[in-house]
Amino acid sequence: MFAYYLRLSLQSFRRNPGLTALMVMAIALGISVCMVTLTSYRAAARIPLPHKIEMLFAPNVDSWDPANPYDQDKATNAPDLQTYRDARGLYASTIPDRKLIMFKAGGVLSGGMNMAPEYVSARMTTGDFFPMFETPFLYGNAWDAKADAGPEPVVVLSKETNQKAFGGANSVGKTLLWHDREFRVVGVLDHWEPAPKFYDVSNGSFDDPEQIYVPVTWGQIMELGSDGNTNCWKTEDIKSYQDFMNSECIWFESWVELRSPAKVSAYRKFLDDYVIDQKSKGRFPRPLNNHLYNIEGWMQRNQVVGTDNKAMLIMAFAFLAVCLVNTVGLLLAKFLNAAPIAGVRRALGASRRDIFWQHLTESGVIAVAGGIAGGLLGVAGVWALRAWYGRFVQDLERSLPTDYGTFAIAVGISLAAGIIAGLYPAWRIGRAAPASYLKVQ
Amino acid sequence: MGLRPIFSSLMRNGAGALLVAIQIALTLAIVVNAVFVTKQRVSHIGRPSGLDDQNQFALPVTGFEKDFDFFAMIRADMAMLRQMPGIVDAAPINQIPLSGGGSSTQFYSLPDKKGEKSPVAYYGTDEHAVKTLGVKLDDGKNFTATDVDYRPKDAQGFPGTAVVTRVFAEALFPKEKDNLVGKTFYDDQSKPVVIAGIMEQMHGAWVGWDKVDRVMLTPVVGPGPGIRYLVRTEPGKLDAMMAAVEVALRKRDPNRVVGKLRSVQNFKQSSYASDSLMAVTLAVVTGLVLTFSALGIFGLATFNVNTRTRQIGTRRAVGARKRDIVSYFMAENWMVTTLGVVVGCGLALAGGYWLSNQFGLPRLDLYFLVGGVAGLWVLGQLAAWQPALRAAKVSPAMATRSV
Amino acid sequence: MLSMKNVSKVFRTDLIETHALRDFSLEVKAGEFLAVTGPSGSGKTTFLNIAGLLEPYETGSYKLDDVEVTDLSDDARSHLRNQKIGFIFQSFNLMPDLNVYDNVDVPLRYRRMKFAERDKRIINALEIVGLGARMKHHPAQLSGGQQQRVAIARAIAGDPKLVLADEPTGNLDSLMARQVLDLLERINEMGTTIIMVTHDPELARRAHRNVQVVDGQISDFKPYESHAPTAGLTPVPHDRVSTPAGA
Repeated sequence: MFAYYLRLSLQSFRRNPGLTALMVMAIALGISVCMVTLTSYRAAARIPLPHKIEMLFAPNVDSWDPANPYDQDKATNAPDLQTYRDARGLYASTIPDRKLIMFKAGGVLSGGMNMAPEYVSARMTTGDFFPMFETPFLYGNAWDAKADAGPEPVVVLSKETNQKAFGGANSVGKTLLWHDREFRVVGVLDHWEPAPKFYDVSNGSFDDPEQIYVPVTWGQIMELGSDGNTNCWKTEDIKSYQDFMNSECIWFESWVELRSPAKVSAYRKFLDDYVIDQKSKGRFPRPLNNHLYNIEGWMQRNQVVGTDNKAMLIMAFAFLAVCLVNTVGLLLAKFLNAAPIAGVRRALGASRRDIFWQHLTESGVIAVAGGIAGGLLGVAGVWALRAWYGRFVQDLERSLPTDYGTFAIAVGISLAAGIIAGLYPAWRIGRAAPASYLKVQ
Repeated sequence: MGLRPIFSSLMRNGAGALLVAIQIALTLAIVVNAVFVTKQRVSHIGRPSGLDDQNQFALPVTGFEKDFDFFAMIRADMAMLRQMPGIVDAAPINQIPLSGGGSSTQFYSLPDKKGEKSPVAYYGTDEHAVKTLGVKLDDGKNFTATDVDYRPKDAQGFPGTAVVTRVFAEALFPKEKDNLVGKTFYDDQSKPVVIAGIMEQMHGAWVGWDKVDRVMLTPVVGPGPGIRYLVRTEPGKLDAMMAAVEVALRKRDPNRVVGKLRSVQNFKQSSYASDSLMAVTLAVVTGLVLTFSALGIFGLATFNVNTRTRQIGTRRAVGARKRDIVSYFMAENWMVTTLGVVVGCGLALAGGYWLSNQFGLPRLDLYFLVGGVAGLWVLGQLAAWQPALRAAKVSPAMATRSV
Repeated sequence: MLSMKNVSKVFRTDLIETHALRDFSLEVKAGEFLAVTGPSGSGKTTFLNIAGLLEPYETGSYKLDDVEVTDLSDDARSHLRNQKIGFIFQSFNLMPDLNVYDNVDVPLRYRRMKFAERDKRIINALEIVGLGARMKHHPAQLSGGQQQRVAIARAIAGDPKLVLADEPTGNLDSLMARQVLDLLERINEMGTTIIMVTHDPELARRAHRNVQVVDGQISDFKPYESHAPTAGLTPVPHDRVSTPAGA
């Protein structure tokens, strides 16, 4: 029967192409607006490394100003970065299965085969960064704990940097100059562009990943400042880099991998113990306010999905609602107009349910057509937005991707919406007694 | 004219009318809020930045060899840039206004962190900054070449003189608005800075910050090895000069890194991108929603007329004039529109309230609501006008025709 | 076949109550060809609607083919209608966007028949009405008489026990009307009960039996003679022109 209803629907469309086109277009417009806003929402809301969501955590401790909370809008938030001393202090814990501390620096890289000297961004971090965030390696691998401790002058290159410096060849063992110092390549990453850049959202959720990775202790040796965020609340006499390291300025980020709930509790206790101990030394004037965020919580705390994203999504769905109300009205008008024919079918033996399903199928076909048209329109819209804004916003491939998942969702929403929209009109047309349509036409 | 019979007839054939009322209600709610937010964003984007931001570009430069003479590089680059035809002026600067990246700190009107306080975005630069930025000094004067501290090492504290925006100065000295030049403010170490000049207006790094217009130009450059250059061109020469400057800088000294050139306009558009996107999306949605509502009303009115030709004919046959028919349908439409508008008002207010609570958007201005109600009413009546006219043309003979 | 006892049907609006049928009783035997006549407004159409299970009634009982219909659900009535009854309307009521084949197909679809079975019946029905060559045509391309013949084919494709015809020749000229009547007679000879509502006395004469409905009831007045069914053609007092398909 379904195939029969499909055929009848198509004939009905052919009889009234203008009205059909209007209905499809109404749904398509609503769906396309939803699709564009959904695309940017989903890109921001994507949870990277979902299988590790109960394993990776970012600790926050509140070393901030007793007079003012760190976050004026949400006083319960602790600072998202740590001081050098606290980063080292947290790193000292033996509880985590893996751990890292890091900051973002920059400097001129030179010495590659064909490469003109270039200012590159560097992630100063520990060797566990790579297994923790599951970075893919093209050549070589991460450095080990011994290299961290040394520190050994080793470096991991991004694929693009390796391309520029060594033409993409296996450069493990070769050396480069960074800040005029020799570093030996131990690994080259494969293409890796996590979006959102969850581990450094305070700088930019969709920023480029760094171009090289260096053991964090070199930052101290080479006295590198942070190219990322640095925040200080306390009046301190900072005359040297050493003073800076000892200050209350926050510029480090920490992550830990805890593979069991027991370890999570143990680490939480460790955080509390650490802060209490620091308080006894005169630091941490604010009340105890430690947090341990998993990736999802971290992204929420940092509002990766911004209020604009959410507001636009709401608007889009409100608009879709208007489109649907419109469609219900059009369907009602169309079906009631065709009521005499339905009356004849009833006389010929169709039950109310047959008429209902026939017309619901028709609504469904319109809905699917509208959904596909809307999805394609949405893809075109995303493409157009990328082309327009891409002239001055750098990261749009990641924040406005061509998202086939969203396309499928859009068609699904449309089908559901169209069927809901068609329920009342299809029911209405089945309800009238067939006799009333047969004599008086 | 008897609205009650119209009302009871509407009640009996309610579904279509109800749908239109719902559509009008939703339209009002959406359009009022969307237009309001759009206007907000457009004003936000349209604020004057105080800079000549259509004619400026910036680039980072870094030296890298050991014993690289950073200041010599700056002197040589600046000398070359400043005499290139087409360039108004150029200055070394730590960060670029409107770019989203910058530094800020807190100052006090009295030592020991006492008195009034205000945060400010600061730009370490030389005496050419005022002309390069294109800001207007409406009191006092710029700092001089001798004021500029070319710092070889990262020292703390600011030089003792600065050029600041009026808003920042007034925040520190609210009672002395006519007498700001020469006033002294203090950092958190009680180190003093004297106001040499007042800028009428200038925007700093973060356009989303409510204190974006609190800016300080401070005469300090260094310690390197990297710095940014801000260049101001004559009107119409931006693209040409960007290309020429890149070539000239690389040629003058190939042993340092000349980074990516980017216009200040580009930075500005990037900073305002999300506001712009929001405004565009809302404008598109508003236009579409209004179109749909008009079409929906038109469609229902037409449908109404088509299904009731016998009724119309009968009315005419018993004495109604053409304009009685028109007023009947317009009255019917008016009832539906009114119902929709009333419900829509409630929805618009509720929606505006919820949006401002959830998302920190400002509270809906009632002007917009009134405008929306009036506009939608007019739209509703206009859309039903043509179908009503068609109804009037129905022949009285329709009363007797049976098919 | 059809047995109505004391059926009454009331139409109610806010102000008026109309008794379309009151205490209506009628027996029709299987294989009969019955004409129902009466002035307009007498209730004949209401009777036909009730007989066709298109409308419910207030009181009384109606047995169709020995099945009591009064308390059946809408689904059950549709099913019964589908299996046992064929309809022919005054204004043909063909589906304008379907071709002849698909039009005849409609009631068979609601019987959930498989394609092979449906195809066989459609072709057969169209042969009987003489329109086998016009299967792909659309109603707009056919004359009034041809359209009614398609409607007849549609009515008989499912082998119904009862055919209800509502002024089947009302919209046709006399030539086409005769053809349609011939067809009805042939169908009746094949064993189908036919109840035909008409206000044309000429037409009524060709049925075996006449009843008259006046004010919602069967009237005793029987002005026309009835003919008993005989094998072969029923003799009629005027010329018969038999024409091949197409007119």
